[in-house]
Amino acid sequence: MMCAFCIRNLILRAALEKVYFLCLQSWRRGPVRLGSQPWAKMSLFGTTSGFGTGGTSMFGSTTTDNHNPMKDIEVTSSPDDSIGCLSFSPPTLPGNFLIAGSWANDVRCWEVQDSGQTIPKAQQMHTGPVLDVCWSDDGSKVFTASCDKTAKMWDLNSNQAIQIAQHDAPVKTIHWIKAPNYSCVMTGSWDKTLKFWDTRSSNPMMVLQLPERCYCADVIYPMAVVATAERGLIVYQLENQPSEFRRIESPLKHQHRCVAIFKDKQNKPTGFALGSIEGRVAIHYINPPNPAKDNFTFKCHRSNGTNTSAPQDIYAVNGIAFHPVHGTLATVGSDGRFSFWDKDARTKLKTSEQLDQPISACCFNHNGNIFAYASSYDWSKGHEFYNPQKKNYIFLRNAAEELKPRNKK
Amino acid sequence: MTICQFFLQGRCRFGDRCWNEHPGAKGASGGRQQPQQQPSGSNRRGWNAANHRYSSVIQPSSFSKSTPWGGSRDQGKSSLGSFESGTSASRDREFGLSQNPFASLSPDEQKEEKKLLEGIVKDMEVWESSGQWMFSVYSPMKKEPNISGFTDISPEELRLQYHNYLTSNSLQSYLNSIQQLIDQWRKRVNELKTLNTSTKVTLLSDVKAGVSQVAPAFGFGSGQTSTFESAGFPVNNISSDNARNFSFKPSSAFVTAPSGNPSVFGSLPAFGAAPSASITTSASAFGFGKPKITSASSFSFKSPAASGFGSPGFSVFPASLAAGPVGAPAAAGFGSGSSVAGCGGPGSHSNTAFSKPSNNISGNSNIATSLPVSNGCIITDNVLFTPKEQLTAEELEQFQSRKFTLGKIPLKPPPVELLNV
Repeated sequence: MMCAFCIRNLILRAALEKVYFLCLQSWRRGPVRLGSQPWAKMSLFGTTSGFGTGGTSMFGSTTTDNHNPMKDIEVTSSPDDSIGCLSFSPPTLPGNFLIAGSWANDVRCWEVQDSGQTIPKAQQMHTGPVLDVCWSDDGSKVFTASCDKTAKMWDLNSNQAIQIAQHDAPVKTIHWIKAPNYSCVMTGSWDKTLKFWDTRSSNPMMVLQLPERCYCADVIYPMAVVATAERGLIVYQLENQPSEFRRIESPLKHQHRCVAIFKDKQNKPTGFALGSIEGRVAIHYINPPNPAKDNFTFKCHRSNGTNTSAPQDIYAVNGIAFHPVHGTLATVGSDGRFSFWDKDARTKLKTSEQLDQPISACCFNHNGNIFAYASSYDWSKGHEFYNPQKKNYIFLRNAAEELKPRNKK
Repeated sequence: MTICQFFLQGRCRFGDRCWNEHPGAKGASGGRQQPQQQPSGSNRRGWNAANHRYSSVIQPSSFSKSTPWGGSRDQGKSSLGSFESGTSASRDREFGLSQNPFASLSPDEQKEEKKLLEGIVKDMEVWESSGQWMFSVYSPMKKEPNISGFTDISPEELRLQYHNYLTSNSLQSYLNSIQQLIDQWRKRVNELKTLNTSTKVTLLSDVKAGVSQVAPAFGFGSGQTSTFESAGFPVNNISSDNARNFSFKPSSAFVTAPSGNPSVFGSLPAFGAAPSASITTSASAFGFGKPKITSASSFSFKSPAASGFGSPGFSVFPASLAAGPVGAPAAAGFGSGSSVAGCGGPGSHSNTAFSKPSNNISGNSNIATSLPVSNGCIITDNVLFTPKEQLTAEELEQFQSRKFTLGKIPLKPPPVELLNV
């Protein structure tokens, strides 16, 4: 039984959504006058007909093709196999450059222009699938970690890649650490070690033992978080030299899959979000005033969101990324959806339509205007569902508006 | 503080926020308040209400209702083939040496346990029906240690193996090992869903065990992944290609060992069939209900042998050691313990492929394997029960009588045979 007010709101909202949808359609169809669209003021997706040539092939596709239901920009010449990792260039580099590592053993680099056009720039190969990529802080080097147990440093200016790290098992994570008194590359591997490399030397600066295989990690100086197999969770502090800060008992019941650090209002890392294979994300603060209340978990990437009686399908959370400006987060899952959340207001901001493939990776650019997500098979259903012929996509979405935090009541 | 009248009647609105005292509930609930955004069903249910609500515990009948449904859904989800992660031995049971396992369980503790068990059952049902990733560890409540019997394998690892097997043309062995993993996972989930006494007991000990066993268990977990690949190798006898990734060089010693050592290699897919049979029998004898127990138990015992395994990164050895402490199979286990030591040879090869530290580890473990042989008799499975042989006549009498007589109360836990739960 709804009051007249609610009904009126519903009608208004429906109408509003229709308007937005129509705007979106017309915007997609061709050149638009600057300023007439709400998002035109953003630098990314300005106007120009670059769109049509930007590789957005979905216009010609049939309506039953669900590979891009959100009608986002498709990156041209996307990798031939599943994309394991995405990373945008840091603010020190003018423009936006996207790096993607894939299971086809390659790392590709595109320039993403403000018009939305993506220009493939360069590519490097490993001898094994690439599991993680990251940029150096000055934007001149890209570090890539691969199943061939090595990590390489790719100098973009010279387009040369040299090996900088060696492990005894595939290297799962790689991060660049820039401290006031040192800089190094941190690699986490399935050989249960965390190694820190000065790129000039073939011996690691430091080796830290992990309780189990490293599954995911994140670094925001001076904090680093590593989540391992068997629900291991360790926080490191990187000041002076990396050392273990605390081992945390996992707030989740199942295998850890992805982790991302978030910052507080003073731009200091203060906690992290941890995603598991069980469609759940835990928000955990390192030193909260009230741990019982401040730390929480939420369910996501499940079918039947609200209907708890029917059995749900539960999907793994493949990636978590925090918006660099708003502090809201995005999660992508095996169900082929991405969702935006506001962790402070503890609400969901948006969930996308379902893509026909899982979304295996996601990333924000340095100013938070672009949200990139990769649609490719993540092996969540085993080898039977692997189709090497299926095309893998990377989509770019304008993220400035949709990730604005909800106003707290 | 005043006693809360409403709590006594079973209807205190404030629960643990209540300013009055809730007799019996305080100790139990004190430590565990983590209100979650999305509480997982039964846990929350138990905590908010006063504990006396346990009278409305979910009865086993609900399990049977949902199982056929769960089963049929699995048919639907047969897309996963039978993805069952065995990880039996790998997951290493953690047998906390609970000091007084039979100290009178206060009603609150009992309720905690019941709630825990309910939670586990529910989670198992959800896990099976939801099509979520199978090869994951599980713990009944956050901050609790993992329940044994599950391995952690990430999708990337599985995929990498698939690619490797593909290139070396041994896809069938990959499929076989996957199949076995799935079978083992399924079995374990079913075990947990239909909790019988022995499973319950082992679960509870798992949960109480504490987190310290993490390291060695992990070591085995990783060993697990390598061993299960290697399981494929004896089948195929492909050595060179496999050397590339996580591979044990196939060795005859490796193959023969499991026959004598039920626990360790129970996890290996290739050996899944034979050992599991022996495991179940030994399990029943000791009321463990779960074959893989043995490996875990060694870690919780602070025995010299076990402490040798305190360092992480072991694959094969801890499990074999684990076999040691467990009563009768112990003898067999040690018989195989020596063969396992033999296994140490090839095992170390594989470990080198894996990680450098393991080289040293294999050295250590070889030494360590000799230890439990002597200790094995001492450290028996007396975590929860003592075998009858160990009890003196007096103690036996005490256990058998209806009531303990003061001054003669045995200090050891009762033998499992005398329990009638």
